[in-house]
Amino acid sequence: MQTPKIVSDFRDGLAAGELLVQSCNACGKPNMWPRYACPHCQSDDLGWLKSSGGGVLHSFCVLRQGAPEGHEGDLPYAIGAVKLDEGVQILVRLAPDGADDWSGYRCDDRVVFEGKEAGRECARFRRAAD
Amino acid sequence: MAESWTLNVDKDAANDPVFVGVGELKTGKFPDRGFIEALTKVAILALRDAGMVPRDIDTILLIPNLHSGADQADLVFSRMVEELGILGTCKASFMVHSGGSTSDNAVRAAHGLIATGHAHNVLVLQCERWGSADLNEMITMLSKNGIPGEWELPTGIQFNAIGAMITNRYMHASGSTPAEMASICVTLRNWANLNDNAMFRDKPLTVEQVLASRMVADPLHAFECPPMADGACAFVMTSAGIAKKRGITHGVRVAGSGGCVSHYCLSQEPDQAVLGWPVAAERAWNQSGWGPGDADIAEIYDSYAAVTAIALEGIGIAAKGEGARWFAAGNGNPGGKLPMNTNGGLLSAGHTGVGGGTALLVEGIRQLLHRAPSHRQVEGCERAIIGGSGGSYMDAQILLLERTGMGG
Repeated sequence: MQTPKIVSDFRDGLAAGELLVQSCNACGKPNMWPRYACPHCQSDDLGWLKSSGGGVLHSFCVLRQGAPEGHEGDLPYAIGAVKLDEGVQILVRLAPDGADDWSGYRCDDRVVFEGKEAGRECARFRRAAD
Repeated sequence: MAESWTLNVDKDAANDPVFVGVGELKTGKFPDRGFIEALTKVAILALRDAGMVPRDIDTILLIPNLHSGADQADLVFSRMVEELGILGTCKASFMVHSGGSTSDNAVRAAHGLIATGHAHNVLVLQCERWGSADLNEMITMLSKNGIPGEWELPTGIQFNAIGAMITNRYMHASGSTPAEMASICVTLRNWANLNDNAMFRDKPLTVEQVLASRMVADPLHAFECPPMADGACAFVMTSAGIAKKRGITHGVRVAGSGGCVSHYCLSQEPDQAVLGWPVAAERAWNQSGWGPGDADIAEIYDSYAAVTAIALEGIGIAAKGEGARWFAAGNGNPGGKLPMNTNGGLLSAGHTGVGGGTALLVEGIRQLLHRAPSHRQVEGCERAIIGGSGGSYMDAQILLLERTGMGG
C-alpha cells in the first residue's frame, strides 16, 4: 500500500526541518495525529500549519533494553509525550543532555523541536534553555 | 457529571445474570501444556465448579490469545465447541476483544445475552502462552499493538516504555518515591505467596530487591515489569432463574459497571496520571448506587504499579496523589483495610496477555463465591470492585460485583 498523503506530507515536513500540525480548513482547529476527516467537524478539507516547535513535556522514559525490531542499535533512547503550544500532543524522541544522559529532564519541562530524529521518521525535541 | 445509564435488570429477577463457577490452571512457564489442552481442562474445571456439563452451555465467549494468530483462528472458528462435544446444541461461539479489558467487556456481553434471553448458560474461556513464546517476537508484536505504526513506531516505543511514561508522570504528579512505587509490587507478591496458581507463589519480594533490580525503562526496574506467563481461566454465567432451578444457592451478580475510553495511543492522553478512571468510576457509581467505600475487595489491572495506583485514586479508594502511599502503608495487603489483587495480580501471579484481567476477574468471583482456599479467602466477602484496562491503557473499565442468594 502506498504511504497515505497525510503521512508523507508530515514526513516531508520533518525532512525539511519543519514540524507540521494538521489544520482543518473548515473549522480552523488543529489535529494531531493527523486524521482523514477532522474529528471536530468531519470535514476532509485539511491542510497544515507549521508548529512553533515549543511545548511542554508531559511525560517521558529512557528505554535501556527490549527495543522493538530494528531499534536495538539505538539503545538507550528517550521517548517523550509533548503537549505542543498549538494545543495538540505528539510522541517524540528526546535529545540527551550528554552522552546517553537524560537525567536533567523532568516532566513539565519546556521542550523545543530540534528537527528530525536521524534515521527515523519522527521528531526530535530537546530541553529549552533553563 | 458523567452521563448515566440504567441497568435494565433487577436483583432477584429471574433474568438477572449471575456467575456460578470459575476454573483456573497454574500460571507460569508450561511449554508442554498445549493451547487446546489447557482450554479444554480449564473449561471442565469451570463447568464442574458450576455444577454443569458441557451440554448445558449454549454460548461460548472467547477471550483472545496474543501468542499465535493460528491459535486465535482456532478459537474464532469454534474449535472449542467441537472439543467440548457440544456441536449442534451450542448456539453461538464468538470472540470479544479489547485487550486487557476484554474480560470486563465479555461480562457486559454475557450479561446482555442472558438478560435478554439470547443465551441461557454462557462459558467464557481464556488461554495464553506468553511464557512459552519467543520473547523477541512478543516484544516486536507488542510494539505494533496499541501503537500507531505510521506515527509512533518510528520512535521505538514498546510496552515497557508505555508503562514507564505513565509511572514517570504519576510519580511527578503525586510525589511518590521509588520505594513507595515498589511497595505496590511487594503487596502483590504477598498475595501471590498465598496463591498456588501464581507464577511467583514461592518467592517472597522486598522493596529493597525491587530497587536493586536493573533499570529497564527509567523509572521502571526489572522487578516492576510484568512477567510474561502461560495461563488459562474460565467462568460460567447463567440467569438467577436457571441457577435456582439447578439448586444453586449462591451466585455473583453485576450491580453495575462503568467505562471510559480516554485514548488510543498514550501520546493523546490528556493526563497520564489520571487516565479514564474518574469518569468510569462515576458512571459505575451512578449505575449501581455504590460508592468507593462499599467494597470488601478490589481486583484492579496491575500490569504496572502506577496503573493500579492511578485507578485507586480515580475510583476514590485512595485520595488524589496517595495511591502508592496507600499501598506503602499496607492497606492492600492480606489482612489490610481493602485486600487488593488477592491472586497476586499480573505483576506476581503472571501477565497472561489479555488473560491478566480475566484472572483478576475470576479471583474476584471466586472470593465472592467464598471458594478461595481458606488462607486466602477474605472473610465475609460480599462486594468486589473489578477494574480492567486495555492497549496502552486506552480505557478504564469497572465492574461492581456482589454476592447474591438465589433464595426460595
